Amino acid sequence: MRLIEFSRCFQGVIPTIIASSDAHGMPNVTYVSQVYLIDDQHVALSCQFFNKTRRNLDANPFISAELLDPVTMQAYRLRLKFVRSEKRGPLFETMAMRIQAIASHTGMDGVFRLIAADVFEVLSATRVEGFLNDPGEAPAHEEVSVTGLRTELRGLQLVSERINRADDLETLLAAALDALDVYFGFHHTMVLLYDNDVQRLVTIACRGYGGGVGAEVAVGEGLIGTVASEQRVLRITGLEAGLRYGRAVRRSVMNRSGSVRPEIPLPGLPDAQSALVIPLLIEDRLIGVLAAESRDAMAFGEWDETYLAIIGNQIALGIDRALQDDPAEGAEPRPAPPPPPIPRPATVRRTLTYYRNDDCVFLDGEYLIRNVPGRILWKLLGAWKKDGRTAFTNRELRLDRTLGLPELKDNLESRLILLRHRLREKCPEIQIASTGRGRFALEIGADLDLVEK
Amino acid sequence: MTPEQVRWCEERGLSVIVGTADAEHVPSCCRGAAVRSKDDFETLTVYVPVATGQEIVANVATTRRIAVSLSLPRDNTSIQMKGLTTGVRLAPAADEPFVKEYVYGFADILEALGLPRRLTRSMNHWPAFAIDMSVEEVYDQTPGPNAGAPLA
Repeated sequence: MRLIEFSRCFQGVIPTIIASSDAHGMPNVTYVSQVYLIDDQHVALSCQFFNKTRRNLDANPFISAELLDPVTMQAYRLRLKFVRSEKRGPLFETMAMRIQAIASHTGMDGVFRLIAADVFEVLSATRVEGFLNDPGEAPAHEEVSVTGLRTELRGLQLVSERINRADDLETLLAAALDALDVYFGFHHTMVLLYDNDVQRLVTIACRGYGGGVGAEVAVGEGLIGTVASEQRVLRITGLEAGLRYGRAVRRSVMNRSGSVRPEIPLPGLPDAQSALVIPLLIEDRLIGVLAAESRDAMAFGEWDETYLAIIGNQIALGIDRALQDDPAEGAEPRPAPPPPPIPRPATVRRTLTYYRNDDCVFLDGEYLIRNVPGRILWKLLGAWKKDGRTAFTNRELRLDRTLGLPELKDNLESRLILLRHRLREKCPEIQIASTGRGRFALEIGADLDLVEK
Repeated sequence: MTPEQVRWCEERGLSVIVGTADAEHVPSCCRGAAVRSKDDFETLTVYVPVATGQEIVANVATTRRIAVSLSLPRDNTSIQMKGLTTGVRLAPAADEPFVKEYVYGFADILEALGLPRRLTRSMNHWPAFAIDMSVEEVYDQTPGPNAGAPLA
């Protein structure tokens, strides 16, 4: 059989059994989380610990593997012969990244890692006859339907059009995630922008989660942080199985040494079974990360990876353009037309407190926002309270040194989006409305007490 | 094995895998359907489907060496037992309810992990060979730095 005929078995959804034997013929049988398909004559296994299988291979190069198709449960057997260990290069990097992401997510980075990618020659590949009571249809290898292809090509065109047409970053991201949902069936997606100042990624747009803008991930931490640090695409199927493996290692380490770093909560679906995470890059400069998740363990194939990478490139270009594009640049700040007043219930009274020592703004005693977006909010509210101003420009914010915006790549647009989202979620009586490119208005629908501590 | 380890080996829903090697030391593996012991795992009987276990049986007939790994899919806790085959027979019909219940327990665990029960139950488990073995060595096989450490 050709390996491609049962390619689903290589996605790592169901662990594979492997048997090895020592020099005296004593067998060892264990699981590996994933067998990597290299080509029709070669596969690779990950070597994470110097275990019995590894020692057996030094004495006896033959192993046997039994893989299961996660859709049909049909079993396939491989006879393999060890060829070499790779400790660097593209294969190693690809295999290492998945392990690093799982290890980082479970607080086990550095504890378990890829030691080597062990490459095997496939001596034979056979379907295990009689494995199932009712084998039904033999699983066909994944093919791309023409209908799907047309839909996705159309989706690609639409994403491009929408990104090019978008007036501002918020519209651009909303349009891109909407197109991914409608045309590609990616129902849970998020875009995180990279903040070079703090080496963190901040969720700036998401779809399918019912909130989540503002969630942060440190570069190098978890699935998303690993993609940012490695600047490589990560596609994980059978995510839950991978995390169970990581947690098993974690328990083992805890039993031995007592304490380990806490697990990092996934910023998206708590029960995601698969994830496709793409770095948004302009050449080698990290702009952010685009992540898609699914509760379906088989949701993302190579096809999706290819398409999402293309879309990711376009989104990265669009974001970069939007962040640099300041139409008010060079122009004198001038007041924008006043926005229509928002309904204001007479009895609403809110207290906002700004804590100077940690740049946090609290609303009625609850955390609202911090850092640069917090300082921006406080500046706007101060101007409103003192002079009754409601119209502002991006340019005047950029010129205000007290806000601490970096001179280059200040990400002001993304910080304003974050502030808008937080206000929409937490304080609808204060809104920031766009009044044209590079201009916005503060809309206040409550009596505000401003306290600075 | 400690009483605690023995109790763990008797848990419902364990995944059973079996490894052997032929006279040339070329290994083979297959999924087992069930395992049980009457003497706290000094010895055990592992049930291997006839449809898929013929190579395993041929190997133990030649070499007697066998490895059986038990694993709880919920948390990947695993123990591997190695030893020598003391007998191979076609499992009697009286054992079928036990084997079926064992497989269904495994299916229940996988169902909780997102793999539909009907898929796991569709795996052939009967008729089965019953392979008796004496347990000579026991190892911790839970992923992590202790994997491979002897337990007994």
